[in-house]
Amino acid sequence: MDILSSKVEGAFVVMPNGRLDTNNAPQAEKLLVENISAGEKRVIFDFSKTDYISSAGLRVILQAAKLVRKDGRVVLCNANEQIYEVLEISGFLDMINYCSDLKGAMQSVSE
Amino acid sequence: MAKQQKILVVDDEPINIDVLTGLLKQDYRLIVAKNGARALKAAQSGNPDLVLLDIMMPDMDGYEVCRRLKADESTRDIPVIFITAMNQTDDEALGFELGAADYITKPVSPPILRARVKTQLALTQSRKELEKAYATIKTQKDRMEIELNVGRDIQMSMMPQDFPSGPGSESFSLYARLEAARELGGDFYDFFFLDESTLCFCVGDVSGKGVPAALFMAVTKTLIKSAAGSSRSTAAILSRVNSRLSADNEGCMFVTLFVAICDIHSGAVTYTNAGHNPPYIIDANGSMLRLDTRHGPVAGAMDGIDYREDAVVLKAGDTLLMFTDGVTEATGPSSELFSEARLVGLLEQSAQQEAESLVDSIVSSVHSFEGDAEQADDITVLAFRFHGEQPVDSQAVSVCKTWNGLRTTDEVIAWFETFASAHALDVAIRRKVKLVFDDLLGNVISYAYPDSGVGDITVKLALGNGVLVITLVDDGVPFDPLEKSRPDIDQTVAQRDIGGLGIHLSRELMDEVSYQRRAGQNIVTLETRLAEL
Repeated sequence: MDILSSKVEGAFVVMPNGRLDTNNAPQAEKLLVENISAGEKRVIFDFSKTDYISSAGLRVILQAAKLVRKDGRVVLCNANEQIYEVLEISGFLDMINYCSDLKGAMQSVSE
Repeated sequence: MAKQQKILVVDDEPINIDVLTGLLKQDYRLIVAKNGARALKAAQSGNPDLVLLDIMMPDMDGYEVCRRLKADESTRDIPVIFITAMNQTDDEALGFELGAADYITKPVSPPILRARVKTQLALTQSRKELEKAYATIKTQKDRMEIELNVGRDIQMSMMPQDFPSGPGSESFSLYARLEAARELGGDFYDFFFLDESTLCFCVGDVSGKGVPAALFMAVTKTLIKSAAGSSRSTAAILSRVNSRLSADNEGCMFVTLFVAICDIHSGAVTYTNAGHNPPYIIDANGSMLRLDTRHGPVAGAMDGIDYREDAVVLKAGDTLLMFTDGVTEATGPSSELFSEARLVGLLEQSAQQEAESLVDSIVSSVHSFEGDAEQADDITVLAFRFHGEQPVDSQAVSVCKTWNGLRTTDEVIAWFETFASAHALDVAIRRKVKLVFDDLLGNVISYAYPDSGVGDITVKLALGNGVLVITLVDDGVPFDPLEKSRPDIDQTVAQRDIGGLGIHLSRELMDEVSYQRRAGQNIVTLETRLAEL
């Protein structure tokens, strides 16, 4: 279960592969902390390859949002129905931008 | 030597004052007043122990002085002796009516004056001592009553109130009530699971009342629970409890007991009656069986008794009703007893009732029988109603026994994926369930075993009727995920409290979530419908 990541047009895109849960949350956290510290301020979580996320995954998102907060942005995209439901139930959709696809996310994160 | 007592002498004639003070000054301190108004002032400020009061005085006579002394709170209790030349009975009567303590006529005889003064002062002294003693007793009595009430509250709180309900206890219902008499009593009931499918329940009544009975009851209850931990035989449990109670039983107290152990799936009950009122089994049609066999004497009376036991298999709809003699011996206003016959009559009409309403109707029937008469003894009723196994329409059940290892969640999720594929569960359900495993099972693994011991964790899947039921069982520290959110100890980002979010998600995503603590295990049951309604 890897956490894929890439840099696209000045944004740091994180793609949890399969799931984002207790198992790989530490890995995702480390990746994000390192890159944000190194200057990445625009972070996109692309869930197109993610089956489900648990509360451990939510924490990773929250932590990223807090790290970039002052002068950056976190945007979420491509969630399947269940991930979207989890984001909704947890109130994350009220706090963090969400776009249905990566293109929209790229725009939103650059605003 | 006690302080000299003080006497107020009231007379308008200096010669009379001289005579009286001359007779008394050796033994008492004296204050003098020459008229009524001064006498009242002196009585208030001088705080005398006795007043010698002349009747015939100008302006305000002795009667009026006495009336005012008695009307004033601060002087009311000072004894008054009238001293007068008049010796008519009418005057004496009026004097006593006004509250005088005694009457002495002039000419005053020295020994009589001294004797009567001494008597009055002694009487007053005795009365004061009595009042003081009464106040002390009352304070102590009040304190004792408060302590007894606290004791009774503690005693009552020892009776479990968390009657089994919900998943795992569909096959029966159990309910009990203990109505305590005003005085501390020795009734008790208890019920507890020995394992997932074995329930032990009992009712007992300790001889006597008060603190000794309450203490003996507490000890008995504890001994039963401890003995039941190592045996499924009620005879063995009773034999053990009896020998423990009999040892060092200086007070020669004893307890009547009925102890039962039931397999909640089959309805098989093993029971032992140690000198207790025979319980009844009422079937769904109202026919009754009295379990008259006694398997030994009351417990605690004699050491070394081997108790026996019997077994009975309850049918679906059978109720086992246990009670103490507080029910049958409840007394109505005309001293008539509630009686076992009345109880039987009530039971015959109540065959269809659930445990709770049956117990409630017996207790309220006893109370209304008692009417205004004070409840003399504790009243305890416990009903166990067996429903039988509910039809299980699960097409598929799978059980995974595991432990609190680092890879457990992954293994359980892999096992679940196999189950899900075999039963063609759709992807939405799979995602939800995987989240639940990650969050709830993850919680158990991280927090249920704080002493880093190895725990037994069981996960059960049951699929049927379009519903998937997931049961998570662990033997870790008690934790009810539904009660409160667990603080997230790893939280590094403080602003938003994210602790308990996993539980919140699981509750939102599943259709039903319930929790029970039973036989040292946390049991979380989650249900989700396979298709949205």
